[in-house]
Formats: sequence, structure tokens, C-alpha cells
Amino acid sequence: MNTAAQAPILEIQDAVHSYGSVLALDHVSLRVEPGEFVSILGESGSGKTTLLRLISGLEQAQSITRLAIGGQSVIGKPPAQRNCTTVFQSYALFPHMSVEENVAYGLKVRGVARAEALRQAREALAVVRLEAKAQRSIGQLSGGEKQRVALARAFVIRPALLLLDEPLAALDEKLRIDMQSELVEIQRSLGMTFIFITHSKEEALTMSDRVVLMRRGRVEQIGPPVALFDSPSSLFAAEFMGFENLLGGRVLDTRDGTALIELANGTRIRSRVGGDQPLQAGVDAGIAVRAEHLRLISAAGTNAPAGVNALPCEPSPAAYRGKYTERWADTPAGRLKLRNWEGKNVDVPSADTVIWEVEDSIAFPA
Amino acid sequence: MNQHPRVHQRWSYWKGWPLLGKGIGALMLLLIYFPLLWLALMSISERPLSGIPLPLSLAHYTALWQDTRWIGPFGASLAMALLIGVLCAVCATYVGRALPLTRRPGRLMLLLVLPLFIPGMSMGAALFILTRTVLGLKLGFWSIAVGHFIWAFPFALLIIMVLTTRFDHRLIEAGADLGASKWQIFRDIELPLLRPGIVGAALFGFLLSFNEMLRTLFLRGTTETMPVWNWIMASSQQSQVPIIFALTTLVLLVTLPLFLGLFWILFVRLERQ
Repeated sequence: MNTAAQAPILEIQDAVHSYGSVLALDHVSLRVEPGEFVSILGESGSGKTTLLRLISGLEQAQSITRLAIGGQSVIGKPPAQRNCTTVFQSYALFPHMSVEENVAYGLKVRGVARAEALRQAREALAVVRLEAKAQRSIGQLSGGEKQRVALARAFVIRPALLLLDEPLAALDEKLRIDMQSELVEIQRSLGMTFIFITHSKEEALTMSDRVVLMRRGRVEQIGPPVALFDSPSSLFAAEFMGFENLLGGRVLDTRDGTALIELANGTRIRSRVGGDQPLQAGVDAGIAVRAEHLRLISAAGTNAPAGVNALPCEPSPAAYRGKYTERWADTPAGRLKLRNWEGKNVDVPSADTVIWEVEDSIAFPA
Repeated sequence: MNQHPRVHQRWSYWKGWPLLGKGIGALMLLLIYFPLLWLALMSISERPLSGIPLPLSLAHYTALWQDTRWIGPFGASLAMALLIGVLCAVCATYVGRALPLTRRPGRLMLLLVLPLFIPGMSMGAALFILTRTVLGLKLGFWSIAVGHFIWAFPFALLIIMVLTTRFDHRLIEAGADLGASKWQIFRDIELPLLRPGIVGAALFGFLLSFNEMLRTLFLRGTTETMPVWNWIMASSQQSQVPIIFALTTLVLLVTLPLFLGLFWILFVRLERQ
């Protein structure tokens, strides 16, 4: 795909929006390429829904430098004049219309003849495997079916951009997992650009081409799922991505994308630098390590193997968790969590040191 | 702690209470419907004032048909009721949609429905003084209409508000998002969902205006509506009473199905949604 030559399907530059004294969006910029599946991930109140409403036009930004869909500026335009549709969290299906009338509504207001609109609506319903229920009333549908009708209603008019506002949040777990893969399949087969709002790390990581992590109205980190999962660029991103062990120190020097960081107790840790920003020597930095990347060894006073990070520790007994075991290790730098997926026979007798690879240790500005 | 409830209140365990309740209910039904049925019976009785229904006769209906004096007031009442019904439906829909979106809907709502609690004669007298002595206007059909509208509007508004306060505004956003203009959203989404309330408002406006008497007496000038004409006839000439029996029976046959329809729309249709 020749993405470099294509214009972005969505451009947002410097969006600022507040509700009263609460700053919901704090200078947010975003570019989305055609055909991308982009997730906007964040906790409630992070500004992700506000961002979606600015794109759809249900809310007008207080200040924005550029907002363009398919290369055309839509600043100040009402939702009806924007080439994008929304799948609402509440589905917002029209209760007085049948399933097919709901799906055909966007075509109807575009002046498509009734017979043709209904034909296209049934086609869209076939994509979400609901053609058999085209004539049902909305009240007769289950939650998952309503969700799929809302999806069909949004994509049937072939918008440049489909916005999905936590569409899976109201579904039960099994259905949610089924819908995750179904959504991705539908997105691929339609070749449409999806912007997917979610507070679920799993959804964002498993479904998207890129993830936009938001926090307090700002974009914290943007990148492919693997970049966010493996190379968080901030303490918040590391915590959000489930890094259990977080340490703090000062950068001594940097080399080849790694940083040597001195912890408060004087131990030196070499870490890969997360995100795109290089770390400067002398600044405060955070370090994140996943529990499964820590290992116990018995160093017995000898030096740890070269090229790995090591901290002396006092491990607690392992706690059985079914598929894995967990334990704590008290180190001079604080308490660390260890997780072992390899069964129970890996206990190291007289373990007194916790070690981990440089590659598994992520550093970022504190 | 752990005390037994007082057991000596034997009367509250009396088996007769439910029976008494049923008895009172039956009595009420009798009280409501017997006079109406008796009226209908007497309207086809030859000598209604004698108290004995027999012999039966359609003479009063024939007399009513030949007597043309009631047609003017009846027409005035009908036109007035239709006007008030339409006005109520339109205005209450307009206001009722806007009210839940205002900053302090409670206060505005209270002010708007307060005419419900203003005695009819007070409102009538107040409007009379304003129009006649302050503004120096001539009373007639239009002044009755103003009085009726003030009287009926709060009811209409209350009915609409039942629906507009529960209205899911996300549906409006969904419509806008799908490309509908404001008018299309109103026509395709709001209107169908508010229809039971709008129809209810129109019916209430119609019936309240059609039956109104107190305010009309102050504001009518020389115009006669049907309740006024009935009252004048009944109070002045004994001989006209049988015609009135026939006429009021006809009015009953028109208004009762209307009311039944109204309640069916309000309670049966709304529950189904």
C-alpha cells in the first residue's frame, strides 16, 4: 500500500476543549491514515469521548487549528455535513423503526429511494449476519444484536470514517471477545477507517493498527500495540500497560538506545529507553519491568552474570495462582513482584538475587 | 428490642374490610353511571320530568332537529374546541420539548402549570378586567379562546412532558450523526415518539374547551357556547328542558368515546413502548 502518497483521512491539530473549568482536551493532535484501525485508549475522564464528539461534530471545539476529514476542513460544520458516522455506546437505535428501517435511515435522509435504501440496508445486515432479523423491532433484539444493527446503520452510508464509542462495553465477556474479532474482520472487508474508543487495554491491543493512549485530555503515547505494550514512554503508560514493577532513579549516561540509571540505593540498572524521546544524562527517570521478566538466582555473594540487571533480594514463598505462581521479593530498591509461568519446579534454593535482561527493562523520563 | 407488635388491634384484622372496599367501589360506579344512563333513558321518554321513563318517544330528538337555536352555540363550541385542541398540541409540543433542556426546568414548569390551581372564576374575572376595562376590547369568540387556552394549556403541557422528560436525546444525536437535518430529526424521530403525548394534548384541549363554562361566562360578551346555551335554556324555560336532555345525551355520546380513546393512547400505547 502506498500510504506515503495518500492524504490522511483525519487530521486534528491542536484541539482544545473544556467543560466549565475542566479541561477535557489539552492541545491534542492526531493523524489517521486511510484504512487504519486506530484505538483511543484511556480511563473515563481522559477526554477520549470528547475527542470523538469533536470529530463527529456533536460538539464544536473551543479552539482547534485544523480538523479535516478526507482532506476537507469540517471546522464549524454540523454532524450532518461530515463524512463520518458514530456507533454509540448506548447504540441509540430508533425504537419506533424496524431493524432495516434503522439501518436504512442514513440512506433515507440522503435521498436514496426507499426500495434501494432497504436493499442496501439488508446487504449491510448480511455483513453483520442479521439479515434474518431485518423486519424485527428493536425491542426484540439482544444486546449483541443491537450492537451489530448500530454498526450496520453506521457503515451502510460508506462514511470515510467510522467512529465507535466503547461499542463493546455493554456486552458480556464472551460476546465481547467474539465481537472484537468480528469488528476487525468487518473493518478489513469494508476497507474503512475505524476510530475505536475504549477503556480496555486488551481491546485496544488486540484490535488496532495503532493505539492512542490518552490521559487527562492529553495524548500520552501513540504507537502500534506492540510499541505501547513493550516500550511505554511514561510512568502512566507503563502502569496502564500493566507493568507491575516500577523503579525510579537518575540517568548517568545513554548509549545505543539504552540508559544507565542509578537507583536511590546506588545500584546501577541498564534499561532500554521506551517511546521515541531520547533520555538525557542527569535527568530523573523511571524504570518498568514486568513480573514475568524477573528471575531469581542464587548468586551467593558472587557477581551477577554480565549484561543483566541484578538486585540482592529476600524472596517470599511462591503463591499458587493456577496457571502461574507469584511471589514478592524485597530488594533495597523496594518490593518487586515476580511471576513464573513455567510450573512449580523452578524454585531456586537459597535464592538471594533477582535478575532481568536489559531488553526487558524500560526507562522513560520521570 | 425484639418486642412483639401490639396484638390488641383486632379491628385491623376484620375480614369485612375487603368486602367493604368492593361495596364502596360498586356504589361509586353506580353513582357515576346510573345518572348518565337515566339521562339517556329520559331523553327518549315522552315526559322526562314526570320521573317515569315510559312511554318511550323520539319526540325530543325530533324537536331538537327542528329547533335550530342550538346549532349556533354547538358550532361555536365545536370550532372553539378544535381550535384549542390544535393550539394546545402545537404549543405544548413546542414548549414541552424545550423545557427539559432549560437550566431550571422545575421553576418554569411550576409557573406554566400554575393555572391548574387558579380558580376558574378568578382567572375569568382577571381576564375580563384586563380585556374589557384596561385594554377596552370587545369580548367575544377570541376572548373565550384566550381563556380556554390558558385553562387547557397546562394539562396539555403535563401530558407532553411525560414523554419529553423521558426522551432519550441520544436518539437526536444519532439522527444528526447519520446526516438528518433538524427538521428531518423532528419529523422522523421526535414526532413519532412524542405522538401519543401530542394526540393526548390535543384531545385534552378539545374536551376542556368543549366543557368549559366558568371562564366563558366572564369572557363571552354576547357569544353563546353550548354549555352556556344549555345553562340559559335550563334556567329560564322549563319547556326547553327535554331538548337539553337529548342534546346532552348526544354530547355524551361524542365526548365519552373521545376520552376513552385518550386514555387508551396514554396508558395502553405508552406502556407498550
